[in-house]
Amino acid sequence: MKLCDECNKEAAAVFLKLAVNNKVTETHLCQACAARKGMGLGFESGAFNISDIVGNMSGYFKDFLPPEKKTLRCRACGLKYSEFKESGRLGCPECYAGFGSQLAELLARIHGASRHTGRAYCGGAALKLSKAEIGRRLDELRAELKAAIAREDFEGAARLRDAMRQLEGGHG
Amino acid sequence: MADVIKAFRSGVTWANARGAWPDMIFSTRVRFARNLEGFPFPGRAEPRQLAEIRRLTFAAVKASGSFARGHYFKTEALDRLEKGFLVERHHISHALAASALPSGAAVSNDEDLSVMVNEEDHLRLRCLSAGFAIEEAFKAALKLDEALGRELPFAYDGNFGFLTACPTNTGTGMRVSCLAHLPALSRLGRMPQVLESLSHLGVTARGIYGEGTCVLGDFYQISNATCLGRTEEEFCQNIDRVIRNLIRQEIAAREALLKGPMKLRTEDAVFRALGLLKHARRLSYEEFMQNVSLARMGAAMGWNMGVDFSTFNQVTLLMQPAHIQAAAGRPLDPDARDAFRAEFLRKKLA
Repeated sequence: MKLCDECNKEAAAVFLKLAVNNKVTETHLCQACAARKGMGLGFESGAFNISDIVGNMSGYFKDFLPPEKKTLRCRACGLKYSEFKESGRLGCPECYAGFGSQLAELLARIHGASRHTGRAYCGGAALKLSKAEIGRRLDELRAELKAAIAREDFEGAARLRDAMRQLEGGHG
Repeated sequence: MADVIKAFRSGVTWANARGAWPDMIFSTRVRFARNLEGFPFPGRAEPRQLAEIRRLTFAAVKASGSFARGHYFKTEALDRLEKGFLVERHHISHALAASALPSGAAVSNDEDLSVMVNEEDHLRLRCLSAGFAIEEAFKAALKLDEALGRELPFAYDGNFGFLTACPTNTGTGMRVSCLAHLPALSRLGRMPQVLESLSHLGVTARGIYGEGTCVLGDFYQISNATCLGRTEEEFCQNIDRVIRNLIRQEIAAREALLKGPMKLRTEDAVFRALGLLKHARRLSYEEFMQNVSLARMGAAMGWNMGVDFSTFNQVTLLMQPAHIQAAAGRPLDPDARDAFRAEFLRKKLA
């Protein structure tokens, strides 16, 4: 009788075969342990929690991402570089500019290349944002403008004012 | 019974047996990960931003013209069974089904095209084609990508390409995959070596429902492991080469199963499986998949299973847990489901 890999007490009832990173791993679990882990087939007993079994991808990134020299943060969404290292997920498209050099290294590790050679994209139509979203973005810009003026960053303030005009003009 | 489920036909065209190797390649899928400029990725966006992204995406999908009489879903509005049904249909992922935030999916009328909204990326658009059809699926997915890319400003960078939440998708954002049925290689215990060799070719194998799901019935989803540094066509050509190679290996494995004393053993296993499928009174989905895998292989070996590949494919879809409950017209507990599945299958195979 095969015992459960998890508790090592009960007889294994669920046989689980997974292909992860191109390795077939086999796990034998008893009914109770399988249910506790929320495992089942298809949708039978809830979402499948794979990270319990194989660990998640973020550990992989952590090993390959260069250490940060000082606290690095995305200027657009505020995501810290250290948070990215932990989760393996970026916060917004601007993070690519913020963490550019570190990302180039990581991308080379993952893909064997760090430069896109596929289809070029020339941009699409401007978003027809809802009034609520335009209002929210204007509020954000207004707050940034105030801060820029307070620190006497007049160049930044002018940029923000242009961005506000564009949003108000419906070209956001 | 859920309206969402009623909206769909019982069979789907992408599950028809088609192409040069209908016994080995079930379907081909090409997907693109895309994000909108000016919004955080879903994992970091506020609910109201997510709702706005969904509104904008659904409007762009409608404007693309490819989704006439299509279906649009908000994940939060779906019940458990409806979500299960859409997962089994490969229209949404497990991750999206588990989301309680504004997210959803648009599915074209004949179910070959779909756009998932606010899963890991703002948009995951894909084309699903029957059989081994990389070029066809690629062209259709690209057409949809270009149509949506005109309506919406995608996040793109000249160096990095299309920008995605996870760096594993950066670049083309494209994943091309074939759902391959490899019962003989599995039976001979060769899959570990095969998977090992795939990793040197820039290819990964996953279970039937994508990332992090079990291998069921010897079905493997074979896809490109990387997305950056090569053109979309090159990634397609690589998968094409790998799949052709896998097909050759599976053919050789099937020949090995028919040699000398192996033949009787193989034949016995196949016909026992067929008997079980035709006569069982209780059948779990797992047991169904194990046995349908053998029966499918028997049909490929030229033995009379009395069932064609299209029927095998369609029942593989219809025997899934949520589909069984959809057919029954009510939620069923696992025991009742197994009994219903056995009876439903007997009718389908009769």
